Amino acid sequence: MSYFFKKQLPIILASLAGVLMVAAYFLPWQPLQDIKGLMTNWIVVISAATVAMGFVYMTTAQIKMYQKNKTTLQLIYTITPYVFFTGFALSAVFYPGGSQSPEYQWWFSNIYSNVGATIYAIMYFTLASSAYRTFRVSSIEATALIAGGMIYTLRQIPLFQVYTPWIVPLGEWFLLVPNTGGGRGAVIAAALAALVVGIRTLWGKEATLEVQG
Amino acid sequence: MSNNKTIWHKLGNIDYRWLYALSLICTIIPILYPLGLPVQVSGGTIGYFDAIDKLPAGSVVAVSFGASAQLLDEQEAQFLATWKLLFQRDLKVLFYNPLQDGTLMLQTELGKQVIPASYGKVYGEDYVVLGYAPLGEAGEASMGINIRGVYTTDWKGTPLNDLPMMKDINSAKDIDLLIFVYTSCTDVEFPIRQWVTPYKTPTIIATLGCCGPMAAPYYPTQIQGFLSGSGMGTELEVYGRVPGPGAAMSDAKNIGVLPFLFFFIFGNLSYIGNRYKWGVKKQ
Repeated sequence: MSYFFKKQLPIILASLAGVLMVAAYFLPWQPLQDIKGLMTNWIVVISAATVAMGFVYMTTAQIKMYQKNKTTLQLIYTITPYVFFTGFALSAVFYPGGSQSPEYQWWFSNIYSNVGATIYAIMYFTLASSAYRTFRVSSIEATALIAGGMIYTLRQIPLFQVYTPWIVPLGEWFLLVPNTGGGRGAVIAAALAALVVGIRTLWGKEATLEVQG
Repeated sequence: MSNNKTIWHKLGNIDYRWLYALSLICTIIPILYPLGLPVQVSGGTIGYFDAIDKLPAGSVVAVSFGASAQLLDEQEAQFLATWKLLFQRDLKVLFYNPLQDGTLMLQTELGKQVIPASYGKVYGEDYVVLGYAPLGEAGEASMGINIRGVYTTDWKGTPLNDLPMMKDINSAKDIDLLIFVYTSCTDVEFPIRQWVTPYKTPTIIATLGCCGPMAAPYYPTQIQGFLSGSGMGTELEVYGRVPGPGAAMSDAKNIGVLPFLFFFIFGNLSYIGNRYKWGVKKQ
């Protein structure tokens, strides 16, 4: 593939799309608004296509992992996602009502929801052990982080609301004063940085777009 | 080597299995013996309730329902209480799902946990479910510009133009309140950038407990209220007088958090004791 099609054309298309979107934001000209509407709809379609791409990438990664570690256990790990994928897909395709059928709902309610909830439930134990191992008052910054986090967490627990009522206004203060002040600063800084990256991308100067070698 | 035998060292080396066992016991106790302690309502919850309560009759509420089935315990109390509040009032409710889970959860929860018909609500006239579309931020922008550009039919395949409620609802300009339900903390910026800034749409959000601190900087200027975690879901149940599952969840947290606290204290006592060599005789 030539250099133009491989590198320059994508940059030109990305820059053109970016300039059009920026122009549509600032100029109340109807044709620009129509283009903006059309392009945002395209993004939704592209997002749907990336789900299929994700499946392809997952398959590639699974095959590579099995090739590196050809054991029975790894084979089970590799096959399991596809068994469930096939089960979900077939129940959505073949049962009347598709993904709204009771059969599909059964898969969702009895497998997907419970597996997901179990993973997050296990995290509860991980969090408890990490509180033991890593939440250490080793510096002023760490102490401030722990104090803020603890007070905000305990403020949400009725037991502490009842027996230590002072924690409620203190937790609210932590959330709405230091957290808000710091958070707004971080958001503004991130927005300015994103603006710089955006301008560099539109200009074709962003490092990730540059041709290496 | 004598340091290894101090109480501080022992405190820092308790077998994790004790920690896990204690955590499990403390979570089970309140489920078996509920404490039923009262909750205090925070400003974010009051703002959330007021944003719904102050809507004039006939207002249109869009619900971007991005809750996850895996995190149901964090958000179930929030969205069930919200739906009850919406259906109790004379409002038009438009549900759409930026996550696959959302549609399936609406199927399992709407009509079973909260039954619109019991509030006198009719599908197509008082509420509509658009279903799933892989929206993200661009999709939220697209919804704001033209709802029919993203959805031509509802979740059952009925053309939107055939639904009486959708007759005059085309874009963000026709929406009086956006309720944005999400699980990825940074997603709070999606409605702010795509609904609040361009259209000044009043917006409230419902998210996980850990995402509250990222939403708080936008309250009360960009968002009029917020719920984070089952705790604030319970607060909404209490403040809005719409009982639900939140009370049981808050109860479980009451004692479930104690092992976390104890071991945090043990870990730090061990750390400080070892660091300053408390109880160790100087050579």
